[in-house]
Amino acid sequence: MVDREQRRRFEEYRKNDIGPAENTLLDEFAAGDMDRGEFLKRASLFGLSAAGVSAALGAFGHAPAAWGAREAVKAGGRLRIGILPPPVKGLDPWTYLDLGGLGTGSIAGEFLTRATRTLKLIPEIALSWKPNANATVWTYKLRPGVKFQNGQPLTADDVVATYKRLVDPNSGSQALSAFKGVLSSGGIQKVDSETVAFHLDAPTASFPYLTSSTTYQAIILPANVQAGDFQKGGNATGAFKLTSYTPGVGAKFDRFTGWWGGHAPLDGIDVTFYTAAAAIDAALLGGQIDLINQIQVASDRPLLNNSNVQLFPAKGSTHREICMRVDMHNALSHWQVRQAIALTLDRPAIVKTLFKGLSDLGNDNPWAPAFPSTVKLPQRHKDLRTARQLMAAAGYHKGFSIQLTTEQTGEIPQLAQILQRSVKAIGIKMSLQILTATAYFAGTQSGPPSGWGNTPWLNAPMNITDWGGRAVPDVFLTSAFETKGIWNAPHYSNKAFDKIAKSYLGAISLKDQRKYARQGELILLHDTPTIIPYFYYYLGAGSKSVKGYQANAQGTIFVSHTSLA
Amino acid sequence: MSRFLLKRIGLALVTLVLLSMLVFAIAQLLPGDVGRNVLGPFATQQSVDQLNHQLGVDRPVYDQYATWVDHLSHGDLGESFQYQGSSVWSLLGPALVNSLKLAALAFVLVVPLAIVGGVFAGLREGRISDRVITVTGLSLTAVPEFVTAIVLIVIFGVALKWLPVTAQAPAGSGFFTQVEHLLLPAFALVMVLFGYIARMARAGTIEALDSDYTRTASLKGLSQQTVVRKHVLRNALLPTIAVVATQTGYLIGGLVVIEKVFNYPGIGQRIYTAATNKDFAVLEAGLLIVGVVYLVATLLADILYSALNPRIRHATTE
Repeated sequence: MVDREQRRRFEEYRKNDIGPAENTLLDEFAAGDMDRGEFLKRASLFGLSAAGVSAALGAFGHAPAAWGAREAVKAGGRLRIGILPPPVKGLDPWTYLDLGGLGTGSIAGEFLTRATRTLKLIPEIALSWKPNANATVWTYKLRPGVKFQNGQPLTADDVVATYKRLVDPNSGSQALSAFKGVLSSGGIQKVDSETVAFHLDAPTASFPYLTSSTTYQAIILPANVQAGDFQKGGNATGAFKLTSYTPGVGAKFDRFTGWWGGHAPLDGIDVTFYTAAAAIDAALLGGQIDLINQIQVASDRPLLNNSNVQLFPAKGSTHREICMRVDMHNALSHWQVRQAIALTLDRPAIVKTLFKGLSDLGNDNPWAPAFPSTVKLPQRHKDLRTARQLMAAAGYHKGFSIQLTTEQTGEIPQLAQILQRSVKAIGIKMSLQILTATAYFAGTQSGPPSGWGNTPWLNAPMNITDWGGRAVPDVFLTSAFETKGIWNAPHYSNKAFDKIAKSYLGAISLKDQRKYARQGELILLHDTPTIIPYFYYYLGAGSKSVKGYQANAQGTIFVSHTSLA
Repeated sequence: MSRFLLKRIGLALVTLVLLSMLVFAIAQLLPGDVGRNVLGPFATQQSVDQLNHQLGVDRPVYDQYATWVDHLSHGDLGESFQYQGSSVWSLLGPALVNSLKLAALAFVLVVPLAIVGGVFAGLREGRISDRVITVTGLSLTAVPEFVTAIVLIVIFGVALKWLPVTAQAPAGSGFFTQVEHLLLPAFALVMVLFGYIARMARAGTIEALDSDYTRTASLKGLSQQTVVRKHVLRNALLPTIAVVATQTGYLIGGLVVIEKVFNYPGIGQRIYTAATNKDFAVLEAGLLIVGVVYLVATLLADILYSALNPRIRHATTE
């Protein structure tokens, strides 16, 4: 039974302290449109306070949230982390595009908010964040008393400068795609020394994720930082200060005693860069390192099922896109043929072979099971009979020949071979062209001959490309599936889908997001410009002595509360 | 002798010039675009073009080469394209030192072992000990070094934990700690090189034992020990010196696989990384350095050869 006074206070809170977006969330929760876990995740997205969340749980008859104290940890020691591969270039956060760079930088750097392993947002540099009625303005209150590791106090000017750099096309920012159509330089405004307002180009309910650790380039830096400064140390706010960095070799971090979060358990972090899976695995098994940032099932089997190794899994949206050009006036221009190819794949077997089951199945659309807005439609499965019927309907009952171009990354070559064998069953002769990643992404990406330049990955008739995970599917929709999307490798164009994607991006309530997600999923299942067979789990690995560490699907390394047993 | 040396040095310089031109030309054939490699697949075309222009890689090849030679003549190896802000020497210098350390340890272990083994086998030609040494050496040479390396790591590093699995000692480590870390990769190299060097030493020993001067020395009544020490060894080791010198280039710049498996930041890995990322500045300087090391090693071998063989010494001075 809810206390009458509690309910009265809760109603006053809803009326006076929160806006329409938050109230919509509470209405949805009350109506049973989401479960408790999703509510907690969405509540963090909209910046609901802990008290507000507790009141809501109580008001709607749920058990209170457990805000228990962390278990006692042992202080001291230096954590030895192996990072594979090394950063491909310098450590300037706004330029991060690879796991090595973002992993290394994230040990020292912090964000406005941090996304946990389950994509719940927690305050970091920002204490709170609130949208206006239609999520076109987000106002962030900064945590007072935060200092950079060089002693400089953090103010709103630093946050404004950081984000202006992220959206500046001339800065070398690798986050342009994340903010395209969402945020422009003029929309980043200082309200006062501890408040920043983001005036968006379009309503974006998921904006807080873009300011979180899931946008790994968004490490808050001093306003006056220059290119090359980060790797000299002192230009971040995190629990560990970078004290030395040698390209291709390693980095060292020492505990930052002025950290706003208090005293981190570890004395420091020693990072060693590796270029071979065998070497990093041997180092962990031989006791020379304590933690590996990321392992792959395909190349790190000695670590799986090893009693001396613990795995740190994180579900996410990392996936591979098997793209089929729809505009080449060949067999692939028929949706029936594309569906037929998709129906030749035995996805559970693929996931078992490539990931030992540590993966979600994909259903040929970018709404990964990890996203709360994803609507679970019937899973596409192997069906050769229907595949052959579709091929015949398109006039290709005898099959055809095609070349698949892809990159030597992770398990992609094996996936290509599986696809090659699978489509043989419906008469398709597929030859494989497997390039180095350098060659695969070489060339131009804009302009003639087709608007996507001449780079293989955006122009090959059929290709497989790796896509890193995101906290929300927004970038996938705008870049890979919208008409003229900059990374729209199948050159897909469907006006109905474009409209649905736009509606999805602007939807605030989970109910509306799900409505549009369902429509988008159905269109893509029919048209199948791209096959997405799986969303595999991000895996970290470490010795049993590592305590309090959680991996996340983006690859950032958060060790402020980690300790060694 | 001095004429001989001058002639060799002159030839070495010409070789280096040709090497630099060849490397420059071949590097242009590498797939990919420098600016795209540095900025990544998602950078705008405009920023890629801007970076290419800034680095000067959109100029004609001969123009780029001329600029590079000009800078090199002033001792400036330039800046890395991949790690902007880092000089080429700051990347290659420590890598070269690492490679020299590993090569030195491998040499110290393999050369005496292989020479002793080869001479011993040659002195006992046809006997069981000869067969054991020859077959063992051949078998180890036939096994690829990365296989040997993995086996050593699994046994001595992971299972027994007797030796560290990574070759790079922590910064500030003393001499013996560094040696300890380098033992496993050095053993892998010993296994690869032992067979080849031992067989050359064995062949040289057998040939020297069969020669007239050895027979004369024995017939003069000299002990076998004296015959071997004063007459056989000196002639038997001549081809071995040449073989050891040619392995120097491999040991300094060709250990990419060993460096990868043992995570050792040597010059081989640096050059490989530069090649895959189209970091021309580091690639060309790295290959030139390896070329210099190789030429110095063969020059030293020639000098030693000529010191040991008066026929060579007198032929060059005539």
